[in-house]
Amino acid sequence: MTIGSMLGDIVNSFIKKPVTEKYPFVRSETPEDFRGKVVFDAETCTGCGLCVKDCPSKALELFTVDKANKKFVMLYRVDRCTYCAQCEVSCRSKSISLSDDQWELAATSLKPFEVYYGREEDVKYVLDQAAQTAAGASEETEKE
Amino acid sequence: MGSEKKPEKFVVSIGPQHPALKEPGHFEFGVEGEIVTSATARLGFVHRGMEKGTESRTWVQNLYLMERVCGICSHVHAMAYAQGVEKLAHVEVPPRARAIRELIAELERIHSHLLWLGVAAHEGGFDTLFMLSWRDRETVMDLLESITGNRVNYSANVLGGVKIDIDEAKISAIHKGMDFLEERTRHYMKVVTEDETFLGRTRNIGSMSLDLALRLGAVGPTARASGVTYDVRVDSPYAAYADFPIKVVTDTAGDLEARFVVRIKELYESFRVIRELIDHMPASELTTRIPRRMPEGEVVSRVEAPRGELFYYLKSNGSDMPERIKVRTPSLCNWGSVLSTAVGHKLADMPMILAGIDPCFSCNDRMVLVNQDNNLSTWSWEDLRQYGIEYYK
Amino acid sequence: MNISLPPLVALLLFPGGLVLLISGLVYEYADRKLVARYQNRIGPRWFQPLADMIKLLAKEEVIPTGVIKGLFIFLPIVALTAILTAALYVPMFGFKPAYSFSGDLIVTVYLLSLMTLCIGLAGANTEDRFSLVGATRALTQMFSYEAPFLFALLGPAIALGTWNIGTINAAAGQNLWFIIAQPLGFLAALIGLMGKLELSPFDAPEAETEIVAGALTEYSGRGLALFRIGRDVELVIGLTLVASFFLGGLGSPLDFLWKTLILLLVTAALQSLFARLRIDQTVGLWWRWGSILILAQLILIVIGRFVGPFIPFLGRG
Repeated sequence: MTIGSMLGDIVNSFIKKPVTEKYPFVRSETPEDFRGKVVFDAETCTGCGLCVKDCPSKALELFTVDKANKKFVMLYRVDRCTYCAQCEVSCRSKSISLSDDQWELAATSLKPFEVYYGREEDVKYVLDQAAQTAAGASEETEKE
Repeated sequence: MGSEKKPEKFVVSIGPQHPALKEPGHFEFGVEGEIVTSATARLGFVHRGMEKGTESRTWVQNLYLMERVCGICSHVHAMAYAQGVEKLAHVEVPPRARAIRELIAELERIHSHLLWLGVAAHEGGFDTLFMLSWRDRETVMDLLESITGNRVNYSANVLGGVKIDIDEAKISAIHKGMDFLEERTRHYMKVVTEDETFLGRTRNIGSMSLDLALRLGAVGPTARASGVTYDVRVDSPYAAYADFPIKVVTDTAGDLEARFVVRIKELYESFRVIRELIDHMPASELTTRIPRRMPEGEVVSRVEAPRGELFYYLKSNGSDMPERIKVRTPSLCNWGSVLSTAVGHKLADMPMILAGIDPCFSCNDRMVLVNQDNNLSTWSWEDLRQYGIEYYK
Repeated sequence: MNISLPPLVALLLFPGGLVLLISGLVYEYADRKLVARYQNRIGPRWFQPLADMIKLLAKEEVIPTGVIKGLFIFLPIVALTAILTAALYVPMFGFKPAYSFSGDLIVTVYLLSLMTLCIGLAGANTEDRFSLVGATRALTQMFSYEAPFLFALLGPAIALGTWNIGTINAAAGQNLWFIIAQPLGFLAALIGLMGKLELSPFDAPEAETEIVAGALTEYSGRGLALFRIGRDVELVIGLTLVASFFLGGLGSPLDFLWKTLILLLVTAALQSLFARLRIDQTVGLWWRWGSILILAQLILIVIGRFVGPFIPFLGRG
């Protein structure tokens, strides 16, 4: 039966430095196995599409530019990702990994936060295609 | 104004938005002066339709959906689901994966119990204990982050095993963390069992007898504090609990103090079993192959979540998506104990009694029909729909 | 220090009015910072109380239905006025009280309790459940600590034979400090002050996990700001009173600063040491222990008055 049994604690805390993390000013170290932004290596991808199939939040989309020459582009919707790393597990060719230092991933605009992975010319090709279909779609609606 | 109305009971309604509740729930306490004379609860403010949602996702995707049923005990939900699916597929998980599952589950129990210690202290107005126990909880959060890669949704499981491994560096970090936490926990045990002002808020408050606990079907530490010797980890071992057993911690008092004691003693058990686990980690593969289409059938999977027995029912129709998944979370079983023990206590004790079962509101997003008499009745989908329309009219 | 100021300056600027309000914010900051440090946190930045106040003053004041409007608006003003008036009789910042008459101790103590009374009325004025429970608790608590607090302050007054704060303040420094001569009285005064200010562990009237913000639940904007700054100023005045009575008087601003800050250090530690007491426990504590202790102290003082000349340690100190 005591009163004020945390006296030692509060004296200790008073002397010690506060443990509050000053996050936006001081960025703390993340561990090696931290699950951050998904990083995709288009060079090794075989295009099996298991990552897209298994992704629980439909954050991944795979575009096949040229199947025979293994040219693929990955659209990664960062704002949908839940960082579960299932894509990393599902990937047979180890083309996907999760970064341990890129984790400040808040979107700063109203536009969807999307990242395209792949060879530069392939990404351009996919983007052009997307722009064309978008234009086509809008033309169609105009006709109606 | 009031004189025209007939005298009605003074009802203090707490929630759905209230500083004592970190999640939405609604309680109505009838009070006379400061004494509570009646208590009712309304739950289901956070219905997210997850059980229905599972039916349009694949077995693999559902693992991550089920992990998000509860933010605090995410691993046990994923583990219960994964175990159920593995049972459906008749797949044996390698021993090392089972040991790692148990390790994460126990680390999660530590984090959950320390979190509860802080929340309960805060409800009782003991903010220093709240702040300091949460400060120390950071140790185990950091450990979980370094092992699994995330502080909350660990995603350590995959169907058929685990996706993470433990190496020497992590083992020594865990040892260090456990030593520190054990010392701190022993200190907190002293605080909650000896500090006069805190005992005034917990001793003989919210007492639940063994009979009542059994009748209301209480589970987990809440029931064990009333002397119910039941723990899924012991009575029906899963993961690696058969090889690395724990001892059931019980108390007989059944009051809030006993719940503190039981939870803190469970922490001691967790420290012990974690040390054993990392010292004798079996060597094997981490995963086995598991089919994408589950054979037709239905299984039940049970695990001991930090709050009590967690129950999963899975039904497969042979496709790559489940036909039905039913989750029964431990918090749901304990509400009865809150409402029946609340009567007769002071209004000031209500937050403590509410917090005493370590409630998880988002786990309660389902409808419960409490049947006072014993006649069974079946509600069809149409009945439920009609009830919903009537209710919200 | 003896400076006589023109009355208008004394009322509006110094030591009353503006400077008092600012010092209230500074002491609130110090209190919050100290409690935070005791809990191993960083705590608020220096301008946080000021920012809170500006924000509250700028916000819309919602007047709920079912209240007596005049009373609802009037009560915070009365509360703040009473507190600011009380400051005129207290040696604020170590200066001589701006006004004084022979029985001003009693007046000051009652002006200070007007704050609680206003909060109780404000709670009872609304229809909100939390406010009503909070008001009941606030008034119950007032009845329990008010008497011991007054008796504790009367200790030095009886020993010195005057009920004038200024005289007590001046005389307290010349004798043995009353914290040593009347330790029980000091304890009762300090804890009574915490009860008055509804600091934890005596914060049952505004226990946020039970009754949200207690009697002030329905208040917002300007009304809440006035109540809050009133409470802050009450903290400064209370600390000044206790320091001037028990810590050997306040002779200079420097005296004021270090003595009140030491008191704040102690009250902040007491705030972080205990779990919140239920209202029945608070009342029980005061009537079962507080009043007995203070009565024992008073009897000792009275005996000391008679045998004082023979034992220099008691009574007059």
